[in-house]
Amino acid sequence: VDVLDGIAQGFAVALNPVNILYVFLGVLIGTVIGVLPGLGPTATIALLLPLTYEIEPHTAVILLAGIYYGSMYGGTITSVLLRLPGEAASVVTTFDGYEMAKQGRAGPALGIAAIGSFVGGVLAVVGLALLAPPLAALAVSFGPPEYVALTALGILLVTYLGTGSALKSLSMAALGLLLATVGQDPIEGTTRFTFGQVALFDGLDFVAVAMGLFGVGEILHSLERTEKVQAVTRKIRHIWPSRTDLRDSAGAIGRGSVLGFLIGVLPGGGGVVSSLASYALEKRRAKDPSRFGRGAIEGVAGPETANNASSTSAFIPLLTLGIPANVVLALIFGALLVQGVTPGPQLIDQHPEIFWGVIASMFVGNLMLLALNIPLVGVFVQILRVRAGVLAAFALLVTMAGVFSVNNDATDMWVVLAFGLLGWLMKKTGFEPGPLVLAFVLGPILERAFRQSMLISGGSLDVFVTRPISGGLLAVTALVVVVSIVTSRRRARVLHRHGVPAATHDELTPAEGDR
Amino acid sequence: MNRLRLAATLVAALLLASCGAGQRSEQPEVYPSEQIRLIVPYTAGGPTDIAARSLGSYMEGVLGQTVMVENLPGASGSAAYQELVSADPDGHTLSMTALPTAVLNYLTNDVGYTRDDFAPVGVITQVPSALVVPAASPYADLTALFAAARTDPALVSVGTPGATNTHAAETKRITQLYGVPLTVVPFEGAQEVLTALLGGNVAAGFVNASQDILPSIESGQLRVLAVGTQARLPYLDSPTFVEQGYPELTRSTTTFGVVAPAGTPSAVIAQLEQIMRAASVDPETRRSIGERYVPDQFMGSAELAALFTEAEQTFQGVASGG
Repeated sequence: VDVLDGIAQGFAVALNPVNILYVFLGVLIGTVIGVLPGLGPTATIALLLPLTYEIEPHTAVILLAGIYYGSMYGGTITSVLLRLPGEAASVVTTFDGYEMAKQGRAGPALGIAAIGSFVGGVLAVVGLALLAPPLAALAVSFGPPEYVALTALGILLVTYLGTGSALKSLSMAALGLLLATVGQDPIEGTTRFTFGQVALFDGLDFVAVAMGLFGVGEILHSLERTEKVQAVTRKIRHIWPSRTDLRDSAGAIGRGSVLGFLIGVLPGGGGVVSSLASYALEKRRAKDPSRFGRGAIEGVAGPETANNASSTSAFIPLLTLGIPANVVLALIFGALLVQGVTPGPQLIDQHPEIFWGVIASMFVGNLMLLALNIPLVGVFVQILRVRAGVLAAFALLVTMAGVFSVNNDATDMWVVLAFGLLGWLMKKTGFEPGPLVLAFVLGPILERAFRQSMLISGGSLDVFVTRPISGGLLAVTALVVVVSIVTSRRRARVLHRHGVPAATHDELTPAEGDR
Repeated sequence: MNRLRLAATLVAALLLASCGAGQRSEQPEVYPSEQIRLIVPYTAGGPTDIAARSLGSYMEGVLGQTVMVENLPGASGSAAYQELVSADPDGHTLSMTALPTAVLNYLTNDVGYTRDDFAPVGVITQVPSALVVPAASPYADLTALFAAARTDPALVSVGTPGATNTHAAETKRITQLYGVPLTVVPFEGAQEVLTALLGGNVAAGFVNASQDILPSIESGQLRVLAVGTQARLPYLDSPTFVEQGYPELTRSTTTFGVVAPAGTPSAVIAQLEQIMRAASVDPETRRSIGERYVPDQFMGSAELAALFTEAEQTFQGVASGG
């Protein structure tokens, strides 16, 4: 009954005209940037973050969430039509989606992706509504040792589950942790690496770092790309898949929903991992695996469903524990903090309008996306004609103004430029900014929790293994190390075989995408 | 191109000159002659920000000049205080302040100011603090809690909302003055202390009895063992530290006030003090800043200055070196 009350309250929030407008804006922006290969959800959310300070916290999250799952739809379009993943999670869709397009079946490929995304999104919303409140109740018993285990696991997962080189990911995570130590010591209050600058007492500003790495770095990188996008001339017909298509995909959509939901909840999980996992699962289950890579509709339906489901379930750790599962959620975490709302176990009780409102808005947003995508695919593709130079200049302006507005502090301007440069260099050398930013966000939580644990336990490390939840999480961490070494090798082979084209950015970028 | 640039420069110069002229034509005694900046050392939407905005709108009504509230969060307020002390001491730049945090900042680290760089104007609100335990706590009262700490120093951890803030410093004073070994566990904000208390991860919490904690006390999730004021509070049914035998523990109340840069003319300070005194009895202003926190007796420039001195003397011994 509590859940039903909550959902009713959520719809009251989500169906408020202002929020309907923001959901619509979110999914529209998401779709557009999903189509544009230069810009992913991370960069876009980083760019738009400052614009959300003036709106209500729940409306801000509704908008940002809309961009996130909206981009999952948008990314599909270019993957299918041009073999150009608009965002990283759609890399897998190029395998079979583009093949279908070559066979004249672009319509059904896009159609099934939209339907799958809708089903995955809605099922994940239901899961979120049912599972998050009991998890939040459990989360109250999460003390410092549990946070240590969880953040350690998260940092490890984001580096190991990445599709690129584990060594590069680990080194970026280490750099993120190091950068996180700048500022006042969380326990003693003494200053570290501040060089006497009061502006650095609170550490480097997260928004400035993230917008530098993802926003400015991405802008610089996209200006370098000179390749021309082929004009889309082929007409897209019969978007609605045939009955055979639907029957073939039904299982893949169902499995993709569950798999995507589960992977999304994991710290470090997210779009790319879930779509890769779903693709691997479908291929393994198929009676004739050789159809995959030659236009198998399950190879589009499963991953597209999974990445959308994961983008919804990724909200669970943030809304219940205050721990962002991936970089996009880290940005949304930042947006809430700036608004004076601390995500954590108390969020559902104290800000039900955020929790339930966002859930209900996701349902509304997914419905809008289905309605938008099926008839408007042709229109969205035309967005590819916008000149990169125009887009870049505008984006840079918004970034700089936005960063300044956070603290009214000119130091942040230098931080964003320095990290922009760093982000650009990292892209060129195949280092992913994702692990760096996530480690930068989780680092202070990890450090504070570790030292709190030491204070509470009187300096004994036993506390981490004797408490059941933290001990369990650390056991999982150990398991992940073993398992991920095996799977990352297998995944590298899959990617290699398909010769995926330049996947641009986000969450976890395949290293070979940077050529 | 060159001509255009010349023209632009000329226009800019003229504009600047006209601004200057406008300023000069005013008599220096007339205050305020331009808009007033009221700096808030914390983020928008917090209690300090709300207090600043209500006071600001009251001041606008009286002074007939715009009061620009400007949020400069960071470094426990030090970023804002640095900005304040580098401004012209003419009363057109003011800042909100929170004591003892403003003093603890410069006792802990070199932050580029001390209390000598401020000209205190007056007090807006005072928020008392409370030592709380979760409802299920085995410690029935302060005596039981402190007795447990004395038998096993590692047993009693006290969560505080920050590392260098009032509550951490006052907890250290308990240990120093009364020999009660308490372990200070700093969290980030009162919300996290609340979660740690409810999850049973710290034995007690030392926090402000402000709007964000009171609901948990009223609903019975938390029990108050002691409040840090001289006399009992009308809205909390709890004994004070003083009446339980700890007369020194009255320094953890947070005082929110207004300061100007040192060197601001005393006439201007007196004028501002007068406005704050009037604001403190204005029903609408009182309501929007939280009536129960407005002191019964208005505290002006001299009283705020005394609080600065007192805070410095009280916490000198505990702030440095942790």
